[in-house]
Amino acid sequence: MSSSLKTEHAVEIDGVEHRYGAVAAVGPVDLSVPAGAFLVLVGASGCGKSTLLRLIAGFEQPTTGTVRIDGKIPEPGRGAGLVFQQPRLLPWKTVGGNVELALRYAGVSREERAKRVPELLERVGLHDVAERRVWQISGGQQQRVAIARALAVPNPLLLLDEPFAALDALTRERLQEDLRQVTAETGRTCVFVTHSVDEAVFLGSRVIVLTSRPGRVALDQDIDLPRTGIEPDELRGLPSYAALRATIGHAVRDAATV
Amino acid sequence: MNAEWGRRIGLRVVAIAVLGVLWQVTATVMDNPTFIPSPAAVWHRLIQTSTVHDGTRGYSGHLLIEHLGVSLRRILIGSAIGVAGGLVLGVVMGTVGWIRVVTEPVVTFVRALPPLAYFSLFIIWFGIDETPKLWLLSIAALPPVAVATAAAVHNAPTALVEATRALGAKRWQVTRDVVLPNALPEIFTGIRLAVGIAYSSVVAAETINGVPGIGGMVRDAQRYSQTDVVVLGLFAIGLSGLAIDAVLRQAETRLIPWRGRA
Repeated sequence: MSSSLKTEHAVEIDGVEHRYGAVAAVGPVDLSVPAGAFLVLVGASGCGKSTLLRLIAGFEQPTTGTVRIDGKIPEPGRGAGLVFQQPRLLPWKTVGGNVELALRYAGVSREERAKRVPELLERVGLHDVAERRVWQISGGQQQRVAIARALAVPNPLLLLDEPFAALDALTRERLQEDLRQVTAETGRTCVFVTHSVDEAVFLGSRVIVLTSRPGRVALDQDIDLPRTGIEPDELRGLPSYAALRATIGHAVRDAATV
Repeated sequence: MNAEWGRRIGLRVVAIAVLGVLWQVTATVMDNPTFIPSPAAVWHRLIQTSTVHDGTRGYSGHLLIEHLGVSLRRILIGSAIGVAGGLVLGVVMGTVGWIRVVTEPVVTFVRALPPLAYFSLFIIWFGIDETPKLWLLSIAALPPVAVATAAAVHNAPTALVEATRALGAKRWQVTRDVVLPNALPEIFTGIRLAVGIAYSSVVAAETINGVPGIGGMVRDAQRYSQTDVVVLGLFAIGLSGLAIDAVLRQAETRLIPWRGRA
């Protein structure tokens, strides 16, 4: 039975609750994320969506219930690639060195690493930056490096905690478009946390709206928009896109006032 | 930038010239070379101790440069041992809570002691040759490095540690790739402090059987009231100390290009 679960669901969340002392932050939440899905967790700030992501990453343990990735209890560094709001790159390493580190921890050989680092950087739209210092590239580029680094982690699960929240609007839009394309191309399973309804609809194949304190599932909405072969502007112009935005926007507002 | 640089150099040259004049004036007014030797007398000593004259080699049978060389060698070995020990101790202190609790008061205690105080103990334990001198300098150099390293290791940035663990780093890999490089700027400050302390302790370390050695030379000169030699020794220590610190600063900017940028 567990082997069928393993192939079907990348992430399995069972009756998960999390408390900080007396404060209930999350749950109870039941959720399963099939492999290849792009799940977006959306909700007002402080609704526990980041905590839920940290539970999936294995940085926190649930007070009750279980989280499983591929049938196993998650542990930091074994479960998934992780992207944070800040790039969190190591300033003593070059740009390429930061990406290489993830491959090194995964036991990839030196020759293989030398080949894959530029590939990974190209994949997130960066050229000729491998030798640069982290502070010599822009904030948007740094966040691209952070994504490339997370893509270097062998596990196909990618966890992103408001990765574009600190970027300017133009950069954010471009990174959203590129992330959408990269994940569609690589077939990665993503769990993406955001407070932006537009970002949720644009990126997700499924959007979960969370209530505030404790975070519970208020809405579980499939996004039936084409994932490939469509221009971003075209996608944003679709009537169904606007309809989904409205539905999810309402749900977020309702959930926040509960 | 260049004009600024020139102004700083100019200001320093003027300050040194003013000090030199003040020194000369004081020496002339006092007219007591045992109390304050004149710049010319010290200069004469520099020539004398740097050459073989009247069949005598330098001072106490060694040239000034030889005295200085021996002292520098002691400082180098002593601070190398002290820095290495301080690094290891600091990493352990910064990582293991109970070791920090146990060792912190001891390190602070040793730090507060004047090196001359424990030198007597080392003389009893290790005799009067090189060993007690190196012990003294090592023990004097260890605490600043240990304290700086421990603090920096203990305060490793959670965000970077977490991000690196998420990439699959094991504990020792996090230490090697995040905690230590992050601590490097503070470790360097600790090292500069340590070398400085080793420098200021070398005279204490050479109070017994210190010739050749700048400290031994100063000590002997004091015994015979050769004040000009004492002053010359002070200059030799101070100026070479400045040079070493400049070298360490250079190494710092080269080794830690990210300092102040992250």
